[in-house]
Order: sequence, then structure tokens, then C-alpha cells
Amino acid sequence: MAPKKFYLTKEGLEKTKKEYEDLKNLKLSKTNGEVPKIWHSEDLNPEYLAFQEDLEFLESRLNDLEHIIKNAELIKSPNREEQKNINLGATVMVQVNGQMDEFTLVGTLEANPSLGMISNESPVGQQLLGHKIGDEVVVSSPIKTIYRIKKIKYKTI
Amino acid sequence: MENVLDFLIEIGKLKKMLRQGWVLRGIKNPECIASHTFRMAVMAWLLGEERKLNICKIIKMSLIHDICEVYAGDATPYHPFLLNNKKLPKGLTETWPRFSKKEKEKIFYEKHKKEDKALRAIILKLPPLLRNEIVSLWDDYEKGLTPEGRFVRQLDRVENLLQALEYRQEGKNFSMNPWWIQIEELVDDPVLIDFIKVLERKFNKKCLNH
Repeated sequence: MAPKKFYLTKEGLEKTKKEYEDLKNLKLSKTNGEVPKIWHSEDLNPEYLAFQEDLEFLESRLNDLEHIIKNAELIKSPNREEQKNINLGATVMVQVNGQMDEFTLVGTLEANPSLGMISNESPVGQQLLGHKIGDEVVVSSPIKTIYRIKKIKYKTI
Repeated sequence: MENVLDFLIEIGKLKKMLRQGWVLRGIKNPECIASHTFRMAVMAWLLGEERKLNICKIIKMSLIHDICEVYAGDATPYHPFLLNNKKLPKGLTETWPRFSKKEKEKIFYEKHKKEDKALRAIILKLPPLLRNEIVSLWDDYEKGLTPEGRFVRQLDRVENLLQALEYRQEGKNFSMNPWWIQIEELVDDPVLIDFIKVLERKFNKKCLNH
């Protein structure tokens, strides 16, 4: 099975790469420096334990980031014709239950609905994809919610 | 050891702090924050196994995700409406509150800043290793930095959905709309989406919508 693609905005990919480089440098500085010694007793030096734990956290995060960067797919602004439809990266103005809301459709890694970033893999994200201004998108969980699409815009890259 | 005891006494306050979402809706004898944390940690373990996540990490993350609320309080999504009013506008809790993107960012970062400060205060006297671990776990949960962080952030809402359905089944009267709307916009984890479908089958129609 092909590895899962991670859809990232340009900023998201840059942020991921920066975090990776920063952590790589941090790991280097930790392992090049003085490693706390194990005490010559039955107990382990707490400093040594702390050092090892830190390294484990670092390594696991570095592995995650490496995997993401390797399988990243950049979200690009579509051509003018395609910009009429909702694709990944679109910021959409919708009317829901009489109230206006604004979402940007992103990949799961950057999703944070509290900040208006909706995952393309969430039920609402999935339903919105491909629609255009004037469409009514019905999301049916046990309740029926209608998203009326009022505006679609893309960031110019 | 005394510092650890002091910390435990502080977080023990979560056993008496009522979840504000229920208080706002006038639910009698609602659950406390510690009750929500307990079941969330168990759910993290059981559902996380299926998802092949780092179980130790997600259980720890669930256990600490709300400890900042001892000092920061439990702010619901309706909290911004309470800043200038003592009471919520009528009917507001029957729907999911909507804000502009700018407002969302402002609300999120202000809440994050307040909770981050509260978290650092409550863990201040713990040994540095534990302090670092708790801050890393909480940051991961808040920002969804890793698969575990994203899973626990969504799980938090799913546990809350389960509690809402249980209260509805007990005959408590409130609208389920905000839960379903939030869930459909937030949850994208396949295991949690499947679990929500199980919830939909388990609870009768009367509980599910209103």
C-alpha cells in the first residue's frame, strides 16, 4: 500500500522543515555535549535518566517529521477555472443556520477548527470539496446541517 | 515528595469543579472535570490500541489535558459571550457559536496564553523532567503536533458527545445540535468516526437529535 500523503500549505511545509532542522541541531548539541554519567551505585543518576528521556522524545518527533516531509504534497492554488470550486487550500465563506462562518480547507496535519482550519478528511471538509458559490451542502449526522456557500477564495502564491 | 503531594492536592480540586458546559445548560448535578478526564483516559487506551498509537503517551496526555483549568477555569465555546454579559443570550446554546476567522484566532490565542500560564503555575514545583514532559504533552494536545496529539484533541470532544447522549437518555433536556455540528467539523480520525457511528446506533433517535 502506498504511504499516506500529507497535504500541507507552503507555510505548513516550511514550518515542518524548520522544526525538523531545529530539532536535528538540538539533538546534535545534546549528544556532542557532556553526557551525564551513570552513578556507580545501584540507582541511576536522575540527570542521566532525564537526558535519555529527552533524547527519546526528540528522536520520536524527528522520525515523525521525517516521515511527513518525505510524504508531503504541497497544496497549490488551482488554475483560474478550478478556483470556482472548493479545493484544498480554499478559504470558504459559508452561511450555517443563519450565521456566517469562514473555513480554510487544509490537510489533517494543519487542521484546527478553533482557528478556522478544517480537515479535508472531516465529514464537513469532505462534503464541501468540489462545490461552488451558490451550492447548498447538506451534512447529515443525526441532525441535518446546511452549509450555503457564499464565497470561495484562494491565497495568491 | 512534598512537592508532588502539593501538586496532587491542587489537581484534586478538579474532582469538585463542575464542567461549565452543563452548568450553562442548567443540568442538575453535572459531572466534574475529573470525571471527564477519567473516561477520556480509558477511551484513549481502548480506542488508541486500534489506531496503533503510543498508548502510554495518549493516556498521559488525556490525564493532564485539563489540569490547567484548576487555575484557568473551564472556558466553554460560549465563553466569549459571557465576557460582557452575566447571562448567555437566549437560545445560544442550541447552536454552535460562529465567529469570524480573526475572532477565532483572538479567542484561541488568548485562551491558550491563559491556560499555558496556569499550567506552568500548577506544575511549578514538580521535578524538571516531569515538568518538561507535561508541558510537551499539553502543547502537543493543544496544537495537534503529532498523531497522538491530534487523536486526543478529537477524543476530548467524543467523550463529551458520549456524556451528552447519556444525559439526554436520562431525560435531561437540551439541544444536541452543537455537538453534532462540532463533531462533523472537527473529527477526521477514522477510528473515532467509526466509534461515533456506533454511538449513533446505540442511542435512540430521541437522544440523538432535538
